[in-house]
Amino acid sequence: MNLKKKIAFGLFAGFVAIQFIQPAHNKSDKVLPTDIINTVAVPNQVLNLLQNSCYDCHSNNTQYPWYSFIQPGAWWMASHIRKGKENINFSEFGAYSNRKQQSKLQAIANSIKDQTMPISSYTFLHKKAKLSGDDKAVLNDWIKTSKDSLSIKNN
Amino acid sequence: MKILILSIAIITGILTACNNSSTDKKNINTSTSQPITSNSDTAPKQTHPATDMTTISLKEILDVYLQMKNAFTKDNDKVAAKSANEMVKAFANFNKTALTPDQAKIYNDLEDDAREHAEHIGSNAGKIKHQREHFDMLSKDIYQLVKTFGGGQKLYYDHCPMYNDGKGANWISKTKDIANPYLGKSMPTCGTVKEELK
Repeated sequence: MNLKKKIAFGLFAGFVAIQFIQPAHNKSDKVLPTDIINTVAVPNQVLNLLQNSCYDCHSNNTQYPWYSFIQPGAWWMASHIRKGKENINFSEFGAYSNRKQQSKLQAIANSIKDQTMPISSYTFLHKKAKLSGDDKAVLNDWIKTSKDSLSIKNN
Repeated sequence: MKILILSIAIITGILTACNNSSTDKKNINTSTSQPITSNSDTAPKQTHPATDMTTISLKEILDVYLQMKNAFTKDNDKVAAKSANEMVKAFANFNKTALTPDQAKIYNDLEDDAREHAEHIGSNAGKIKHQREHFDMLSKDIYQLVKTFGGGQKLYYDHCPMYNDGKGANWISKTKDIANPYLGKSMPTCGTVKEELK
């Protein structure tokens, strides 16, 4: 074997080896008391949109497609999920303070308006996660209603 | 075939590198932020003995807020980010021991929210539009803090009717003259004084 072949073989072996190192999965079948559905009224239509477009990175329950098991993509995805949940976790929404809940809702509206979320690297692979104009309007209305109800709760 | 294997290997290398660097960065962040807060927790106690512990002062928080606001009026995202990072420290320095349990509840609620906005502004230099969205929400928190605990100085609560597609936004200023932090240099004097705060 010449050197080039050895290097290529070494890298390939490394690629195979990392397939066996899978990050822990973000999966839970429990609905926590802090879930957003237990905090504000979430109509089914809204819940569907949230589940389709947000929950893979912003909840305790990710739907894993088959290719998500190919390393190192799985690590990359795990880091996205970790960061996503840090920013907002719909499964633990009720654990935020009332004021923060309202801020988070506003931040959702902002990121939809600025088109920073759902992030383009995600919608590239998940076409159905893209929000249509109607979807955005539904979410914005829901955000407005929920913020109002939270601010009443606060007083 | 060789090319295929090589390209897989290279992509693997690149992706792992990206992944590693982001986790490294995270580690650096957490490791640096902790010493800073613990330092700043202990530092004031060493220099100021127990006599200072009875007053509630928002001064440090307000000073950095006003710095941040001034940076936004000049469209300066970097100075805004720097002030925001200082605000995170100012929150850590805030002396909560003088608060009654009821006050502590209000304060913690506001601080929890405000600190996160400050963190976002601090980490988003280069994205002034996003920084301003958080500044809008932060300003509401700071206003509530001033209303609850007093600003210790004369302040103005100003209103910009145009920001956010006509939804409007507010900010706090030390001067009566309007300098708009939301529209910056494009419309520096847009806005009105809504309320005078003592």
